[in-house]
Amino acid sequence: MKFKSLFFTVSLVLLFLASGFQAEAQSLEDFEEKVTEFTLDNGLTFLVIERPIAPVVSFVTYVDVGGANEPVGHTGIAHIFEHMAFKGTQYIGTNNWKKEKKALDKLDQAYQMWLEEKYSPNPDSTQLSKLWENFQQQQEEAKQYVVNNEFSQIIERNGGTGLNAGTGADQTVYFYSLPENRTELWFSLESDRFKNPVFREFYVEKEVVREERRMRTESSPIGRLVEEFLSVAYTAHPYGRPVVGWDSDITATTMEDAREFYNTYYVPNNITIAIAGDVNPDNIKNLAKTYFGGLKEGPEPPPVYTKEPEQRGERRFEMVEQNQPIYLMGYHTVPQDHPDFEALQLLGSVISGGRTSRLYKRMVEEEQTALQVSAFNGFPGTKFETMFMTLAVPNRGVSIDTVETTIYEEIEKIKDGDITQEELERAKTNARAGLIRSLDSNSGLARAFASAEAQKGDWRSVFTDLEDLQQVTLDDLQRVAETYFTQDNRTVGIIKNAEETQEVADANQ
Amino acid sequence: MNRSGERIMKRVTSFVILVLCLGMMSAHAQKRYDELTFPELNEFQRPDVETFTLDNGIKFFLVEDDELPLIDLSVNIRTGGVLVPNEKAGLASITGSVIRSGGSVNYPADTLNQILENRAASMETGIGFTSGGASMNVLKEDFSELLPIFVDLLKHPALPQEKIDLEKKQVKSSISRRNDNQRQIGSREFERLIYGKNSVYGRLTEYETVNNITREDLVNFHANHFVGNNMMVGIVGDFDADQIKEQLTEAFSEIAPGSRTELNFPEIDYDYQSTINFIDKPDVNQSYVLMGHIGGLRSNPDYPKVQVMNEVLSGGFSGRLFQVVRTDMGLAYAVFGSYEMNTFYPGQFYTGVMTKSATTAEAIDAIIEQIKRLQNEPIKKQELSDIKDQFLNSMVFRYDSYEEVLSRRMSNEYRELPEDAFEKFIEGVRSTTIKDVQQMAQKYMKPDSMQILVVGNKEEIGDQLQKYGNVNEIDISIPQPGQEKAQEEVAGDATKGRALLDKMANALIAPEQKLDSISIEAEVTQFGSNIPGGSMSLQVSQNIDYPDAIKQTVQTPNGTITLNYEGGQGTMSMMGQERPLPPQQAKSLKESLNRKYLAVAKQNGELKPQFIGMEEFEGSQYAKVSININDKNITYLIDPNTGYPRVMRYQQFNPQQGSQVQVEERYSDWQTVDGVSYAYQEITFSEGEKAAESVIKSHEVN
Repeated sequence: MKFKSLFFTVSLVLLFLASGFQAEAQSLEDFEEKVTEFTLDNGLTFLVIERPIAPVVSFVTYVDVGGANEPVGHTGIAHIFEHMAFKGTQYIGTNNWKKEKKALDKLDQAYQMWLEEKYSPNPDSTQLSKLWENFQQQQEEAKQYVVNNEFSQIIERNGGTGLNAGTGADQTVYFYSLPENRTELWFSLESDRFKNPVFREFYVEKEVVREERRMRTESSPIGRLVEEFLSVAYTAHPYGRPVVGWDSDITATTMEDAREFYNTYYVPNNITIAIAGDVNPDNIKNLAKTYFGGLKEGPEPPPVYTKEPEQRGERRFEMVEQNQPIYLMGYHTVPQDHPDFEALQLLGSVISGGRTSRLYKRMVEEEQTALQVSAFNGFPGTKFETMFMTLAVPNRGVSIDTVETTIYEEIEKIKDGDITQEELERAKTNARAGLIRSLDSNSGLARAFASAEAQKGDWRSVFTDLEDLQQVTLDDLQRVAETYFTQDNRTVGIIKNAEETQEVADANQ
Repeated sequence: MNRSGERIMKRVTSFVILVLCLGMMSAHAQKRYDELTFPELNEFQRPDVETFTLDNGIKFFLVEDDELPLIDLSVNIRTGGVLVPNEKAGLASITGSVIRSGGSVNYPADTLNQILENRAASMETGIGFTSGGASMNVLKEDFSELLPIFVDLLKHPALPQEKIDLEKKQVKSSISRRNDNQRQIGSREFERLIYGKNSVYGRLTEYETVNNITREDLVNFHANHFVGNNMMVGIVGDFDADQIKEQLTEAFSEIAPGSRTELNFPEIDYDYQSTINFIDKPDVNQSYVLMGHIGGLRSNPDYPKVQVMNEVLSGGFSGRLFQVVRTDMGLAYAVFGSYEMNTFYPGQFYTGVMTKSATTAEAIDAIIEQIKRLQNEPIKKQELSDIKDQFLNSMVFRYDSYEEVLSRRMSNEYRELPEDAFEKFIEGVRSTTIKDVQQMAQKYMKPDSMQILVVGNKEEIGDQLQKYGNVNEIDISIPQPGQEKAQEEVAGDATKGRALLDKMANALIAPEQKLDSISIEAEVTQFGSNIPGGSMSLQVSQNIDYPDAIKQTVQTPNGTITLNYEGGQGTMSMMGQERPLPPQQAKSLKESLNRKYLAVAKQNGELKPQFIGMEEFEGSQYAKVSININDKNITYLIDPNTGYPRVMRYQQFNPQQGSQVQVEERYSDWQTVDGVSYAYQEITFSEGEKAAESVIKSHEVN
């Protein structure tokens, strides 16, 4: 089953990589030799990582745009564009681009007319269905020029594996791997799709996206909880909006909107490409110039201006559901370039990383109140003010309140300076090992380095950031806990079980 | 060739290519994908796997890889859940978990966890359905120190009772959550449709089967299977083979040879049939559909051809299901399929889709059409060549890491496949023809005899499924231990029992009084560790309209809850939201109504009370009477002088504890209104713990 995965955000691995782990200095020196970095005149940056273990290469295109950059009214557009990037180019996926282009223009006009009527003050239902019919007719018209999924098929029949892409709150990443002798094929395909995006099958694909939304969010209890949680926790910053988009925004998004989004954010200086495997850097450089040199320069994309204002009091909500109880809690913290970020990462590890961690030991093993508990910093993204999240799944018969009380008790202990040097050292050691373990695949390396380069301006930050992590002291842990883990700064979301809620009512029958 | 030699060669090859490329550079221009020609693939020297076997039967596989300072060791153990009888379902996986979580005799759990996590090392164990495994991942400098600890864990796991209890508790918690996830429900229930729900392949781990598992079971399961003749050990990482061989030999020689486990997989006698099955999940707006029938075996000579056929139907972005159902029709994000051909027992053939409720039938029909098309029309030449290219060109990724080379080798060995099984498979793919694909489709897929399962929202789906046949609604409610067994009536003195119950009935309802309904007002205090603050007081108004209706209002801190029950079903509303009462809840409400003393007094004539002796309770003697109501035995302690019941006892399933609990209700402070008596104090104990206390303020008759 192949899915284009939407959420990196919960992937702890990536979070750890984003913050980076201290590896032995020797590792960085090793990589200095293996990594070649260059930037084309148009601002597009390449990282080439030589790893000639097997005759294969992994490619990662990292675009510094995600859900957080979306304009109001068009949430989900970054993700819709990501889907469109698999629809081919002016040469691939069409049997007649000239005619198709005309048909697509008419199609978008038809949709916009329908949309305009639908949102007019007094929509006329006869007119509306006429416009919809017209739109559907245009859709049929455009369809005749489509060569279905040709772009992906070319990659697959050339032995491409791991073909996929993902959109997060901070980034959009496209990736796959090829046998090394097909390196130039990647250049040809990748440059074509990002130079000349077509918005082929746009409106059918939006329905696919809607099914994705139903699958991940609407029909999934945890999906519903997380969407609700973020919209309660963030009042101003776009981290509060779902990356997949609100259903009505998906409806409102047109091909024209998607093109404008592309023009704004898919500019070379906003893209980083990493290539890892059995490659020659000079060869790559030449190919890069040949294929990507013509990518048009663009102005720096606009920043995200909105900052999440300080929270003035605890926010709580409860969802009464058919499924068993779940507890989700978060504190607003800091973006990844803030000096407190590393201490917060380590706190996550001390609190819930591994069998010796505080919450695991107490809640899972000793008091046996939780089936599962995890805490980590860095959701839903890390570029902007993020959250320190705790998720707990209570054992059967244990109330949410018990679980919640225990978690607060443990947090208070941390504020009281209860963490030992041994625990801190353990967290650092595991961080170090985590980094080393993550360096053993082409795709892992390419993704980690591209992300570090794009977000922090230097792939070396994967290693060097970690000198900061090494410097974190027990006082730092206590201080950040005191600063951020306050009741006013907290959001709590709970799923309660409908039957249990009722059992309380009739227990005495 | 050793690793560094290989690297040098790589550089040389790269250099040659570089020169070639530079030579072409002047003429280098952008090319479209179809203008490109590709050079020969750089040569890939698959690393050697070195093997040796110890006297106790353990076979080792070694691959040196000095890229990172790590060593990974994995043990493959011939065992599996298939060996476990149905009544102990869950034993294998629980054993697999507790071997690790309980630590060893020499390194108890907490010590072991600290040793490992201080070194960022991990050891894990687990047992699946067809095999067991253990692994150790360490930084290379820690290997010598940790290896003996790892072997000690495999050999002498402590399996302490408290960790077994913890694991059982966790498994039960998971059981209680197994109907929360639509996809989990779907794949589990589809598997049960294909293999039969009581077969070893379809049976589930239940509260009751977990309760049946003892420490002795774990001890035996471990002792029988964690032996040398069942083990293979693979090791990959930064080590010197000669040196590590010595260490491995020393450490693993400790393990007794034992005898080789035979895994017996029961035959499956599959009866092809066309069925339509449904599971209602009101909290989703998308249907999860699975459809198919039994699959095949890996040993079938048609294996490669069937896999090519499956690739045409469901492979990646190019498969027909993806093309039609997703890209063309926009009906789904997830559409998929697989023709499983397992090594040990036949797999499943399934196709599936997740689509909005309204298009459930449309998506099912689209899939069936694609299956039939594959049977009725030859595939296009291009489709076949694309798929062959895909298999052949991506082959290089099969062995693109040292870990992969090792794990594939061990997996082949475990499944007793020849070393060149994959190469044979590729040969088979290469020689597959258009005609073969059509023949395979006709021979191995039966679109008219498929079982269809839909997990979705009944209200939204409406009658879309009727056209596929009589819809079989599958009950997925979680069985409670002992629940289904009706309790046998207790033997005793029936004459005395009748006299006592008559006395009780007359004491509670005056002979001239007719009781049709009763209303009470009460304050109920509940106790328990899951109640915030340990107790909670609620104001309750209740009206019972005999024989089978209850209206109840409860004032809670969260607002008013209203419950309306009549004749086996009902609703509950809270904060303006109304929900139907789940069947389990309705049933337990009915039972609680029927066993209560007033209902017993009313039904008196129809019951068969048995006197079973006297019992002293709080210094007084009471007559003990057993009555079988709704197939459950209820015991009343009746005051022989007044006829008032003092105590009532029964067993009830407690979903929170996952077991039957003994409940006792104590009645006192009798008040009579209009000839009907009511106990104004009622205290409920569950397993000897005080659970609730009711103080009645008033009762009103009819």
